[in-house]
Amino acid sequence: MINRKAGMLIGALALVLSAGAFAQGKAVSLSFGTHQSGLPVSGIVQKLGADFEKETGIKIDFQIVPDAQWRDLLKAKIQAGEAPDIFCSDADPLSLYDRVRPDTSCMDLSGQEFVKRMASSVLPAISYKGKVYGITFPGEKIWVYFYNKDLFAKLGIKAPTNYAEFKAISAKIAASGIVPVYEALQNGWHQVLPLFESGPLYQTTNAGLYDKLNANAYNIKDIPQLKTIISQLKEFADLGYYGKDFMSNSIEGDYKAIAEGKAAMVLEGIGWGTQAETDFPALKGKLGIFVMPWGDNQIIGINPASNAYFGNVKSKHQKEILQFFAFLARHDNLQKRSDGDPQALAMCWPEIATKYPKDYADYLAKLKRGTVMQAAVKYVDSQWMDVGKDLEAMYAGASTVDQVLQTISARRDEQAKLQKDPSWK
Amino acid sequence: MNARKTYPLWFSFGALGLYFMLFFFPCLLGLFYSFTDWNSFRPELNFVGLANFRNLFRGNTPYLLYFGNTLKFTFFTTLWKTLVGFALALLFTRRSRFADFHRMIIFSPQVLSFLIVGLVFRSLLHPSTGFVNLALDALGLGVLKQRWLTDLAWVWKSIIAVDTWKGVGYVMVVFIAGIKAIPASYHEAAIVDGASFLQRVVRISIPMLVPSIMVVTVLNFTYGFRVFDIIYVLTNGGPGYASGVMNTGVYKEFSKGDYGMGTTLSTVLFFFITAVSWFIIRGMRAKEVEA
Repeated sequence: MINRKAGMLIGALALVLSAGAFAQGKAVSLSFGTHQSGLPVSGIVQKLGADFEKETGIKIDFQIVPDAQWRDLLKAKIQAGEAPDIFCSDADPLSLYDRVRPDTSCMDLSGQEFVKRMASSVLPAISYKGKVYGITFPGEKIWVYFYNKDLFAKLGIKAPTNYAEFKAISAKIAASGIVPVYEALQNGWHQVLPLFESGPLYQTTNAGLYDKLNANAYNIKDIPQLKTIISQLKEFADLGYYGKDFMSNSIEGDYKAIAEGKAAMVLEGIGWGTQAETDFPALKGKLGIFVMPWGDNQIIGINPASNAYFGNVKSKHQKEILQFFAFLARHDNLQKRSDGDPQALAMCWPEIATKYPKDYADYLAKLKRGTVMQAAVKYVDSQWMDVGKDLEAMYAGASTVDQVLQTISARRDEQAKLQKDPSWK
Repeated sequence: MNARKTYPLWFSFGALGLYFMLFFFPCLLGLFYSFTDWNSFRPELNFVGLANFRNLFRGNTPYLLYFGNTLKFTFFTTLWKTLVGFALALLFTRRSRFADFHRMIIFSPQVLSFLIVGLVFRSLLHPSTGFVNLALDALGLGVLKQRWLTDLAWVWKSIIAVDTWKGVGYVMVVFIAGIKAIPASYHEAAIVDGASFLQRVVRISIPMLVPSIMVVTVLNFTYGFRVFDIIYVLTNGGPGYASGVMNTGVYKEFSKGDYGMGTTLSTVLFFFITAVSWFIIRGMRAKEVEA
């Protein structure tokens, strides 16, 4: 009798275990494709992914690709119908269609509750033909040069306000055996920032420039300050102010380079300083900022949009994707994201308070602001990584400043003609 | 006539059908698309004549550079893999200690994926933190340090060296099989006649290895023309566009959504590979007839 009971118990246990195993085998896993820069370095999104799995049993499988390869890879995957369930892409109103083909590739999120809670300023970046296709979290994007205040004080130099001063302090820093500017070409995008973040500067001498460029009434290669800036970038490289191995550097290496005093300045997003202070407490209170002074610029470039997440309309797990987006957009998780990411000084969710350090806020408040070129001019952002290669070729000595400008212009023409842009007829 | 054959002709129709559908028809389709403006932005397809082919030769496009780079890569990797593979085969078919172990070690990179090899060598060849430059420094040979993957003068040498390292084991194995098939009596007779090692290699081994050399050459040529992975992972076609090849160009055009141009590049590559392979195979047949 006992044996029979034991047999039944073992049988029942085996059934439960096998049912569990079967259920486990059926567990949903959502692939999440992104570039390195698409996720905060703090790892907060992966932590939220783990929390989501605990709560729902749905696993988020992060597939992280180097920045330099992600844009092309994502486009190739989307066009081949092989995109991950969720994909991260930089988003702006002008390039969204080129990047992710929202109408045919992305889930329509227009009716979701969380859409109403995002800042209205970011909606155009994730919308196409009146429908919202993405969810985004970062606040407006601002790039500034960070510098080590102690090092500047030791060398008797101060933050520059024009190119001549920038060059002069770089010469002093280089003479002290420190790399003046940490530059990194391996990611493919960082070197391009001065060209298009300085768009507001270009508009100061040419009112309505963005509209003229969009109407094909002005050629991008004729912008005088753009040529000046590219020439200055080349000059810095030739003078050795980026160090000798900058073409092999990755931007992720800048924390260490600045913290160890190997480099003095780096162009980074405004939240970089707080992340650096978290990772390297010795830097606490030692980092200052200044607006990028290429071409004597003193206007801060604002990019209202950043990267966003999109759900693959061809995914078998659309319900789970919506569940994940709703989880990320929950107030407690938004706050968790803000608290867990020192770089996120602002989020595009008005319910989450900004956390700009006072000295940064005071400095930025004094500056004029303008919209960056890639967020307002067609066929600029879509060729960002290609321009990165153009500059790399220029630094390597394989092309000239004029050739870089001509290539950027030719690529705009090519993209416009491909898309049958009426302004290019 | 047919009655004397072992199998009737219609037995081959199934295989021919599959060949037509999966190989021949896509080639024809590719050729057709290269004359169109097929792209991902618009559903309609327009005939553009030779416009895509003319774009290949426009001054401000990198396609001619890519074509030259593909030829350079193919020629030098074939040359080095053949020479080094042959030398290693000669070494490891002589009575040497642990010959099998050494063969295994040299062959082992062949089984690694290009992604792994590319990532490992990117790290090894990093100018400031890579093993190669650090080792040169440690040996007091700092003067030989280079920016292996970002200097125009060194990038191709580095790519060719890495690809040769990866592929030489396979060539060595083919040559070892060929050398072992040469009757020992030929070498014994030559030794009796007083021939040196070099004379035996030149007069006996190389002529007897012509079929192996041809096989290796065809394989290396077709591989070289189709190269993509190792370039993509090691340099992503850089610095700038300096190490781009035809297939990185095809990939770029497809990712841009310009399918017509991507197909044109593929078509040019297809005809070039076909022509070169045809000449090599003709050469092989001529040698077989002579033999």
